[in-house]
Amino acid sequence: MLVVVTGISHKTAPLELRERLALDEDGSLRVAQELLDGGAACEAVALSTCNRTELYMYGRDSLAARQAAVERLAQHAGAAVGELEPSLYSYSGDAAIAHLFRVTSSLDSMVVGEAQIVAQMKAAYQQACEGGCTSVVFNRLFRHALEVGKRVRTETAIGERPVSVSSAAVELALQVFGKFKDHTVLIVGAGETSELTATHLKAHGIEKILVTNRTFGAAEELARRVGGRAVPFEDLEGHLAAADIVISSTAAPHYVITRERVERSLRHRRHRPIFFIDIAVPRDLDPEINRVRNAYLYDIDDLQHVVEQNRGEREKEAHHAERIVEEELRSVNDWLRSLEVVPTIATLRDTVEQIRRAELERLGGKLGDLTDEQRAQVDMLTASIVNKILHMPTVKMKEVAGSEECYVYVDAVRTLFDLSGNGAAPDGAADDPVPDAAADDHAAADPPDPPGATVHHLRGTGTDNA
Amino acid sequence: MEHASVIFLWIAYLLYAGTFAVFVVQFLTKSPTLTRVGLVVAAVGLVFQTLAIIFRGFSAGHVPFVGAYESLVMVAWSIVLVWHVLESFTRMRAVGLYVLPVVLILLTVAWVEYKPPVQLVPALRSDIVILHVIVLLIAIGCLYVAGGAGIIYLIEEALLRRRMAGGVLGRLPSLGSLEKLIYHATLLGLPFLTAGMLAGIIRAETFNVPHWWVDPMVLLALFAWALYAVLLWGRMRADWVGSRIAWLALTGLVVLLVIRFAAVPYLSGFHTYGG
Repeated sequence: MLVVVTGISHKTAPLELRERLALDEDGSLRVAQELLDGGAACEAVALSTCNRTELYMYGRDSLAARQAAVERLAQHAGAAVGELEPSLYSYSGDAAIAHLFRVTSSLDSMVVGEAQIVAQMKAAYQQACEGGCTSVVFNRLFRHALEVGKRVRTETAIGERPVSVSSAAVELALQVFGKFKDHTVLIVGAGETSELTATHLKAHGIEKILVTNRTFGAAEELARRVGGRAVPFEDLEGHLAAADIVISSTAAPHYVITRERVERSLRHRRHRPIFFIDIAVPRDLDPEINRVRNAYLYDIDDLQHVVEQNRGEREKEAHHAERIVEEELRSVNDWLRSLEVVPTIATLRDTVEQIRRAELERLGGKLGDLTDEQRAQVDMLTASIVNKILHMPTVKMKEVAGSEECYVYVDAVRTLFDLSGNGAAPDGAADDPVPDAAADDHAAADPPDPPGATVHHLRGTGTDNA
Repeated sequence: MEHASVIFLWIAYLLYAGTFAVFVVQFLTKSPTLTRVGLVVAAVGLVFQTLAIIFRGFSAGHVPFVGAYESLVMVAWSIVLVWHVLESFTRMRAVGLYVLPVVLILLTVAWVEYKPPVQLVPALRSDIVILHVIVLLIAIGCLYVAGGAGIIYLIEEALLRRRMAGGVLGRLPSLGSLEKLIYHATLLGLPFLTAGMLAGIIRAETFNVPHWWVDPMVLLALFAWALYAVLLWGRMRADWVGSRIAWLALTGLVVLLVIRFAAVPYLSGFHTYGG
C-alpha cells in the first residue's frame, strides 16, 4: 500500500490549463469518490487551488492509481490524457508524503511562505473526510500535514516579511508610524495598486481614506470601493496637510507633488511625519521630497527592492522548513510501516509473550516446590493458552492481508492491544520497548491476589495437566 | 560582605553580557522569543546587581555612591532598572541593543576603578546629599535611555532614507514608538533631574558652598536641564516631532556624558568626591 499523488501546479502548467483542471467543492468530492468507486484507491483527497490541482490517493497499486487519477482529471477538464501528460507530476510513497508536507508548508507555493494554503488544504481534507473518502491513513496523514504546516509557520520566519509591493508599502508605513490610530491616507489617482495598498492599510486599522483624482467621478468610484471619501483635486495641498500616508499613482507626465508643496503642507500639519508612496511610472512625486524633515518617500523601485530582500529571506527560511519536513516525514513513515500485517502480528505475539513471561516471573518465587519438569509444564501450559488465544486473530489477519482494507484491521489491533505505532519495523519488533511497558501495565492492573491463593491455584493447574 | 558584593556584581555582569549576546542574535535572526529570553536574563542580572549594591552598602556602612566604582555601578543599575520599567510599559524591545553595551561599558570602567569601601567624609554625611545622589541617579538612568532611543531613531531614519529598509524592518522598533519612548523617558526623568538639582542647590546654600553657581558642572547641568525642558515643551506643543526630539535627546545625552566623564573628574570644584 502506497500514498500516491498526481496533479499539476504553477510549476508545471500554465494558468490556462490550471483553470481547466480546477475543481470546485463538489467537483473535488466527486473526483475523489469516483477514484474510490473505481477501486484504484482506498482513500482519496482532491486539492484544488488557483495554483494547483492534485489528487492524493492511498492504494495498492501506485501505477493503477495514477492512471485512474489522470483519467479522472482529463475527463473533468474535457481533455485528452495525452494533452495533460506533459504537465503532470506524480509521486508515490515517501516522495508523495514529502510533497504533501511541502505543499502544506507553502514550500511549493508560488509565493513561498504564503499563509492561505494551510486553510485550503484543511478545507480539502475536511470535505473528503465528510464525504467518506478518507480513512485511517489519510485521517492521520492530513492532520499530520496540517500540523507540519503550523510547525513551519511557528518555527521559521517563512511568512513574516511581506513579498508584494502593496504589503511592503504597508510594512514601511508601519515602521514609521508604529501603529495606525487616527492616521489618514490620501490616494492620488485611481490605480489598481493604490487600491490594493489602501485595502491593506485598512486591514491594519486605518479608517480615514481620502481619494482624489483629476476626474472627480473616478475618485468617487474608487472611494466607494475602498470605503473612503472623494475630495476635489484642486485642493491637493490642503489634503496633503491632513494626510499621514500619501499613495500616488496618476498618469501625469510630470511631478504632481513637488518638494515646496510638501514643505508647506508639513508646516500646516506641524511637521508630523508624512509617508509618501509613489507607485506611478513616470513618477508623480519629486524625489527631493525624501530630503524634507519628517517626510519619507518610497517609489516603486524602492518597494520592489524591499520585496526582493524579503523574498531572499524567505528562501533562507525555506531551508529550515525543508529540514522540518524531513523530520516529520520520518515520524509519519514509522507509523505507516507499522500498518503492515506481518510486523503487527510479530509485535502482537511479542507483547503477549512478554506479558506471559512477566507473570511467570512474578510468580517464580512462589513455585519453589515444583520440580524442574513441573516448571516446564507450567511454562508449556501458559504458552499453549497464549497460542490458542492468538491463533484466530493471526489467521484472520493473514486472511485480510491481501485485501484493500487490511490496514483498518491492523490499526484496530494496534489500538486494542495498545501496540505502539512507532519503531515497529519487521526486524526491530523485538527491540520495541513498548511491549515491556505494556506488560508492566498489565501486571500492575491485576488485583494483587493473596499469595497463598495464587500458589495454590497454580499448583492445582499444574498437577491437573500432569 | 565585600566579597559577596563583588561576586554578585560579577554574576550580574556576566548575565548582562549574555543578554547583549542574545539581543545581537535576536537582531540578526529577528526571533521574537529571544527578546523575551534576553529580558528575563537581564532581569535576573538586575536582581544580582541589586544584591551587590546592598552588600556593598553593608560593608561600607552607608549608601554606596562614593567614588567612581560605587557611582558607576549605581548609574548602570539605574539604567537597567529604568529600561525594564519603560519596557514593560511600551514593549520596546530593541532598545536593549543600546542599553546593554552602555551598561557593560559603565561596569567595565567601574571594575577598572575598583576601590575597597571607605568611610563617608563628613561633608557627605547628610540626608540631603544622599537624596541628591539617588534622585539624580534615577534621572540619569531615564535620560540615558532617552538618549539611546534617540540614537536608534536617528540611525533608523537614516537607513530608511537611504532605502536600506532590510536592516530595519522587523529588527528595530518603529520611528513612532521610539519617539514615544524618548518622550516618556524624558517625562519620567526631568522631574527627578529637577528634584535632584534642587536638593543640590539647597545643600550648597545651607552649607555656604562658595561660588557654587559658577561651577562648570553646575552650569552644564543647568544647560542639560534646559535642553530636556525644551524637548518636553516642544513635544507637548505637538509640532516638534520626529527627528528634532531625537536630536535633543542625543544632545542631552552628550552633555550628561561630558558632565560625568569630563566635568566631574577634571573641572568641578566640589563634586570631585562624587567621581
